[in-house]
Amino acid sequence: MEAVINDYISRELVQDASLLPLENTTQLLETGILDSLSLLRLVIFVQEQFGIVVDDLDLVPEHFASVDDICSYLRSVSGGKAGQASARG
Amino acid sequence: MAEAGAKAGLWLRRAEGFAYWSVIAPVAACLPGRLAYRAATLRGDLNHWLWPHKRSEIVRDLRQVLGDEVSQEEAERLARDLFRYRSCEIMDLMRARGSARSLRKLVEIQGIEHLEAALAGGKGAILCTGHFGSHQNGFSVLNASGYPVTTIGRWDWKYDTTVSPAERRFWTLAFSRRVVRHRRRPHLEPWPGRFQVAVQAAAALRENEFVTICSDAGPLAADQPRSLELPFLGQKARMLPGVVSIAKLTGAPVLMVFIHRSADYRHQTLEISPPVSMQGDTETAFERVVAAIDAAIQRNPASWNLWFENDVLARLGLVPATPPAETADELQQSTR
Repeated sequence: MEAVINDYISRELVQDASLLPLENTTQLLETGILDSLSLLRLVIFVQEQFGIVVDDLDLVPEHFASVDDICSYLRSVSGGKAGQASARG
Repeated sequence: MAEAGAKAGLWLRRAEGFAYWSVIAPVAACLPGRLAYRAATLRGDLNHWLWPHKRSEIVRDLRQVLGDEVSQEEAERLARDLFRYRSCEIMDLMRARGSARSLRKLVEIQGIEHLEAALAGGKGAILCTGHFGSHQNGFSVLNASGYPVTTIGRWDWKYDTTVSPAERRFWTLAFSRRVVRHRRRPHLEPWPGRFQVAVQAAAALRENEFVTICSDAGPLAADQPRSLELPFLGQKARMLPGVVSIAKLTGAPVLMVFIHRSADYRHQTLEISPPVSMQGDTETAFERVVAAIDAAIQRNPASWNLWFENDVLARLGLVPATPPAETADELQQSTR
């Protein structure tokens, strides 16, 4: 899952090439990679890729601070579902 | 001496504003429409007279942006109308109490079929406007008429560190409480660091609701890199194309909405357009949105509330950076 999310953010959301290659621990909000609209794109991607609908109440910085945090959050809401979807590719 | 006079004028305006918001307008709103809006226009004239600095700033900006086609006399007439419209908008807000019945009967809605078509499409719709006319109250009318509305927008006084907690409390009670009563969800307030706004807007659209947005807000410094420079009011202005980005990501149609006040000041027409084409890249699509706002302002310049906000005009790039106001308080007041 980390690889899929990292790849999407690196390809679609990172504007500043100096931030690439993206580490899974890179702070996405502090570096400006994620803003309101890019988060919407990411949430739509996650929904399409893993079938996970992100609840409004879960839109807190701790869940989207880094690729690792995003994956931890997605695992927590989906159980094994996201991991299986990721494995299917 | 001049400074003392300016200070006295400022306190007089503040007292008058407090009295109008908290007593006069709520009471007058219970009168028949003809009397209520007569009181509002008289208050607008009083405010116009009490605020010479703002009056001359508006006239200067009108002529600077709209050019020679607006004579000095015409600009002064537009400035007076701006003051009257602002007072009438407060009256609209007061008449939106309860189910907004007393406001609804004064507002004719044109283009309701476009809202119905959007609902049938199942992706909600983005209702886009400018800071034009009584737009907040127009959206309240739609919500009270059964079309669930949520607004993307921020009230600057909530973030202005020079506004005291008491003033904030006052504006919450006098203004925002009355607006949010007619919204399906809490306001979605874009602000640096508040990254969830677009996702929350998309969630409302997913529920087949309506999301409103003003696309003519001057971008904050943090947003400048995302802004686009587009033709607007005969000049180039910097604006944020968020409406197009959300529409493209969610598939929701964008309908332009403008509310026009009639010559009697009390009747209004809320015009809803067919969907704006989102074909082409973001800039091309956003140009169509901005052109619609431009056309509404050209049709009725006195309805554009941003003539009151010199600092926002500067952020848009329409006028030079904000000159110093009479006092810091004057700047604060200009947001209301």
